[in-house]
Amino acid sequence: MPGIDSSSSARLDYSLPSRLEEIAALANAVEVFLAADPQLAFQTNLCLEELLTNTIVHGLHGEPGHVIRVSLKRVERGLEVTLTDDAPPFDPFCEAAPPDLDADLVDRPIGGLGVHFVRTIMDEYSASHDGSGNRVVLRKLYGGEAHQSQKQESGNEE
Amino acid sequence: MSLNTTIEGIEGGQLLRVMGRLDSATAAALEPPLLEPFNVEGARILVDFGALNYVSSAGLRVILMGAKKARETRGRLVLCSLQPHVAEVFEMSGFTRIVDIVQDETAGRQRIAG
Repeated sequence: MPGIDSSSSARLDYSLPSRLEEIAALANAVEVFLAADPQLAFQTNLCLEELLTNTIVHGLHGEPGHVIRVSLKRVERGLEVTLTDDAPPFDPFCEAAPPDLDADLVDRPIGGLGVHFVRTIMDEYSASHDGSGNRVVLRKLYGGEAHQSQKQESGNEE
Repeated sequence: MSLNTTIEGIEGGQLLRVMGRLDSATAAALEPPLLEPFNVEGARILVDFGALNYVSSAGLRVILMGAKKARETRGRLVLCSLQPHVAEVFEMSGFTRIVDIVQDETAGRQRIAG
């Protein structure tokens, strides 16, 4: 069944059908789960949409009928977000270089910003695949904005 | 939540109000109302984001297309009334430095009329 699999104050498990139109319903569930912290809910939803859109459009080439599992879990120092799909191996974090944010209007390429948002917002991010699909893990730590210098990027955890 | 737009004529150009959620599922719906006015040389469009709750890179992509097209056709694209979360996405993307953004509709109307 699509939608919320289980939800408690500690974690939210959600099965997302592989269609872009489904992401808004997930966003509502995340807003409810993180109702105490609207800013964190907004940041989490932005990261989720960017990564899920990549997976649906590029990883799955828009094929309906797949399910992407999304989990939000409160951990000791913050929030952990896990995305699991059955798409071919793909690591969003070892792709293109960061966009040039200072480029003039005519030089700005269209696109390429989604992963930049994830890198900017999240304190930790990693991607791995195990033969059946990809797994992306994000962490947002409480008590402080994400700082570029403290950011950890783990490699492929295969 | 979906995306809704309305267009009305204002002094010097058109006012495009964008309401709802501008994401990967809805961004394509913004292309006709935002881009087609610039088929005419020198068009001026004020986009009111006062009732826009959310934008992602898919939405920014359409806005960048509009800004480029406005420049190519010697038109003018002005955005106004960005809500805090929308403004934050514009900041993170660096778009605040390349797109004309004003505080509110009054300032926007002046920019279009001027």
